[in-house]
Amino acid sequence: MKRILISTALLAGVCTYAGGFRVSLQGVKQLAMAHTSAHAEDASIAFFNPAGISFIPSKLSVAAGGFGAISSVTYQNFDTRQTYETDNPIGTPLYAAVAYKVLDNVSVGFSFTTPFGSTIQWPEDWAGREIVQKMSLKSMYFQPMVSVKLAPWASVGVSYIYATGSVDWDKAITGFSGTLNIKDEKATGQGFGMGFYFRPEDNLDLSIAYRSPVNMKAENGTATFNVSQAIYPLLGLNANGQDKFTATLPLAEEYTLGATYKITPSWKISAEMNYTGWEKYEKLTLDFENAPAGNQTDPTVLVNPKNFHNTRTYRLGTEYKFNSMIAGRLGWYYDESPYEDNNFIPETPSFDANVATGGIGLNFGNLGVDLAAAVSFPKSRTFNNQNIHFAGQAKARTYYFGLGVNYNLN
Amino acid sequence: MKKIFISTLAVSLMLFSYSCDTDFENDLTQIPVTSGSADFSRYVALGNSLTAGYRDGALYIDGQNESYPSIVASQMKLAGGGDFRQPLMADNLGGIPSVGFSNKRILTSTMELTIAPGVGATTLANIFSSGPYHNMGVPGAKSFHLGIAGYGNPANLPNAANPYFIRFAKNPTTSSVLTDALELNPTFFSLWIGNNDVLSYATSGGAGVDQKGNMNPATYGSNDITDPTVFASVINNYINALTANGAKGVIANIPSVTSIPFFTRVPAMPIAGLNDAQVTQLNGGYAQYNAALAQAKSFALITDAEYQKRLIKFEAGIANGAVIVDKDLTNLTAMQIPSYRQTTANDLILLTASAVLTPSAGGGTSVPLSDQYVLTEMEANKVTTATTAYNASLSTIAQSKGLAFVDAHSKMVELSSTSGIRWNNVKYTAEFVTGGTFSLDGVHLTGRGAGLIANEFIKAINAKYGSNLPLTDINKYSGVAFP
Repeated sequence: MKRILISTALLAGVCTYAGGFRVSLQGVKQLAMAHTSAHAEDASIAFFNPAGISFIPSKLSVAAGGFGAISSVTYQNFDTRQTYETDNPIGTPLYAAVAYKVLDNVSVGFSFTTPFGSTIQWPEDWAGREIVQKMSLKSMYFQPMVSVKLAPWASVGVSYIYATGSVDWDKAITGFSGTLNIKDEKATGQGFGMGFYFRPEDNLDLSIAYRSPVNMKAENGTATFNVSQAIYPLLGLNANGQDKFTATLPLAEEYTLGATYKITPSWKISAEMNYTGWEKYEKLTLDFENAPAGNQTDPTVLVNPKNFHNTRTYRLGTEYKFNSMIAGRLGWYYDESPYEDNNFIPETPSFDANVATGGIGLNFGNLGVDLAAAVSFPKSRTFNNQNIHFAGQAKARTYYFGLGVNYNLN
Repeated sequence: MKKIFISTLAVSLMLFSYSCDTDFENDLTQIPVTSGSADFSRYVALGNSLTAGYRDGALYIDGQNESYPSIVASQMKLAGGGDFRQPLMADNLGGIPSVGFSNKRILTSTMELTIAPGVGATTLANIFSSGPYHNMGVPGAKSFHLGIAGYGNPANLPNAANPYFIRFAKNPTTSSVLTDALELNPTFFSLWIGNNDVLSYATSGGAGVDQKGNMNPATYGSNDITDPTVFASVINNYINALTANGAKGVIANIPSVTSIPFFTRVPAMPIAGLNDAQVTQLNGGYAQYNAALAQAKSFALITDAEYQKRLIKFEAGIANGAVIVDKDLTNLTAMQIPSYRQTTANDLILLTASAVLTPSAGGGTSVPLSDQYVLTEMEANKVTTATTAYNASLSTIAQSKGLAFVDAHSKMVELSSTSGIRWNNVKYTAEFVTGGTFSLDGVHLTGRGAGLIANEFIKAINAKYGSNLPLTDINKYSGVAFP
C-alpha cells in the first residue's frame, strides 16, 4: 500500500482526448482487447465490476500495471492562420488490485486506479491562453469491495469509492496583463460501484456494472494572480496576490454492459458498451472568496459552461491463445466525445475517436505478464464556441502502451 | 482457427480505415497569402493621432510600434507588402518639452493617473533624412490640415503648423501631409481623418464654435467644429490625388466621439451620497439663486421650461446632477443671475473634471463646474450632427471611388455595449482602464484597441480587393500598463 502511494506521487495526468477526461486505461489485458471488461481472469476486473472478483479462478489474485500515454493536440485559427501544438508530458495511468476469496462464495477486493485525469500544456502565448495555458487534472480511486456468489453462475458485488484529486490550471488574464493559477491538491469525493456477473454457460461471461458519479470537491483551493501588485486591492487579494476558491468537479457515472464468448477453448471474443453520464458536467463553477473574477451577478462567481452530454462507447475485442503460454489480442473501440463541436474546450479537448488496440499475454503458471498498445484516430473538429468566443479547428494524436502483471495463487 | 483470427484482424483494420478524417482538410499555414486586386508594395497611412499610434496622452515609441497601420502593414508583408517606416519619437515618454507637450500618462501604485516623470527627449528637429515615412498620421490634425502646405514649418506655429509633422515633413516650408504622401507614390493607402474636426470641440467642453456654413477653414479656431461641406470637399480632393495613379485604398468613418471613456467615465449625475445636513446646506446656498430665477420667470425673461431646468435642488440618497455653468442658457447677468443649472443624464462630464469633482473642492456642488468640464446635451448634439454628416460623405466617397470602407462608428457602438467585443475569450469594452481598448487618456486606443481596429481594416480590405490577409491576435498587444 505504501509503495502504491509513493508511486502515485510520480503520477502524471493523461489525456485520452475522447471521453472527456475519463481515461479508460485500467487494465493492460483489457486494453489489448479494446478495454473490454468481462474477463474474470485476475484481480484487474475489480475496477470494472466488483461482482467479477467472485469468478477469478484462484483464491488470491493480485494485478498491477501502468501505461504510457503520448498525446498531442494541434489547433489552427481560421482568422489569423496561426497554428499551435500542445507539448504534453507523457501520461502514466496506473492501477493495482487484489482479490481474495474469504469463503467459497464471498470474495473481497481492493482496487486502486486513476480513472480520470488530463494534462494539457499549450504554448504560453497561444491563441487560447485566456482559456488555458496548462491544466492538469488528476484523480485516484481507492475502492474496497465485496462480492457474493448468489449461485454458481451468478454473483453480485459492491464497492465503496474514496477519491482524491487535484487541479492545477494556468491561464492568462489579459485584461490585467497577467496570469492566474487555480490550484487545489486536496480535492476529495466519494461514491460507490456495484455490479452483477454471470456465467450461464462455461463459455459465456456477462458483466453488468454501474459506477456512481463522484463529486470532487475542492474546498480549499488557492487562486494565485500573477499581476501588478497595484491591482491586488482591486481584486481583494492578500499580500501574496492570492485568494481562496471552491469548486466541484463531477466525475461521471458509468454503466457497463459486457459479454465475452469463447468460440473455442482458445479463442474468445468480447463486446461491450459503456454509457457515461457526462451531462452532469454542464458547467464548472468557481466561487472565489473575494476576487471579482467572475461573470455572474455575484462578481466572485465564475461560471464556465461546458454543456457535456452523455456518451456511449462501443468496444469489440478478441483473444487467441496460440498455446498455453502465449495469447494474442486485438480490439477496436469507438469513443464518443462528450460535447458537440461548438462546445469544444481546449482545456479538456475531446474528439470522437476510433481506437485500434492489440497486445500479447504471456503466461508463466501463476504469473501472467501482459503487454498492450493502442493507437487512436481522433476525428478533427471544426468549432466556434460562443461561450468562450473561441473558434478554429483541432486535431489530435494519441498512442498508448501498457505493461501489466498478475499473480494468481490457489 | 488462425485463419479466422487473421480475418478478424482484417475486418478491424477495415473498420478504422473508414474514418480518415483525422487531419485538417486544409493546413492553413500552407495557404498562400495574396493581395487580390490590390498591390501592397507601397502602403502609406494618412490620418491623425489614431493613425500615428498616439496613446496615454502622448506619442511614444511603444505606441507607434502598435499603431493600427503598422499592424496592418505587417500583415501586408505576407502578401508583397514593403517596408513600413514610422517617424519614431525619441523615447517612451513622448513629451516634447520645447512645445510644452507633456509626457504620457501612467498609473501610480495606488491606481491614480499621473504624468510620467522625466524629461522627454523628442525635439522638433527634422528627421526626414532617416525616412521617408509611411505612417503619416499626425496627432491633432483635422481633415483640412492634411492639405495645408507648410503644415510642417516651425514658423507657422502655433496655428498653421503641427509639431509632429515638423519632425518628418520632407520640405518643411512647402510640404503638406498629402504632398509628402504622394511623393511616396503609394500603391495602397489608408485614410482615417475627421475625428479632430469634432473631437477638439467636444474635449474642450464645447468651448469652440460650430462653423457650419463657414467655408473658410483658415478662419476656424482650434476647438471649432468643421463645416461638413468643407470636410467632404477636402476628403474628395485627397482621394482624387491619392487614386490618380490607380492606387487602391481604404477609408474609415468616424466613431461617435461621445461614447469614449473621456466622456463616459464620470457619470452624468455625479453628486451622490449626500446626507441630510449637506443637502440642507447646499440647497440653502442656492435659495437666493432659485428665488432670483422665479423673479426672472415672472418678468418673462425665461420660459417656465428654462426655469425648471435651472432650478438647483439636491436630494439625499440619490445621484444628483452637478451644478455647471451652461453658456447656452439665457443670459441673465443683467439681473446678476449666473448661468447655472444641474446636469441631467443627457450631459457629458469630461474625464478632466474628476480632479475638481471632489467633495473637498466643492466641485459640482457649491462650486459650479466651469464650461470646459462639461459637454452639454446641446453641445453633444452638435457633435453628433456633424459626425453623422461627415460619415455620410465618407461612405459616399468610398462607394463612388470603389475604396474599401471601415465602419469604425458601428464598431465603436458594439464596443460600447455591455457585451462588448470578444476575442479568444477576452472581453473588450469601452470602459476606462478595465475595458482594455482605451488608453489612459480616455480618447486613444491601447495596442489591443489598435489590434481590434486593424482587424476591421484588414477585413474591409480583404472584402473589397479579394485579398486574404490574416487577422492579427488582438490579445498579444499591450493594454493599459499597470505599475
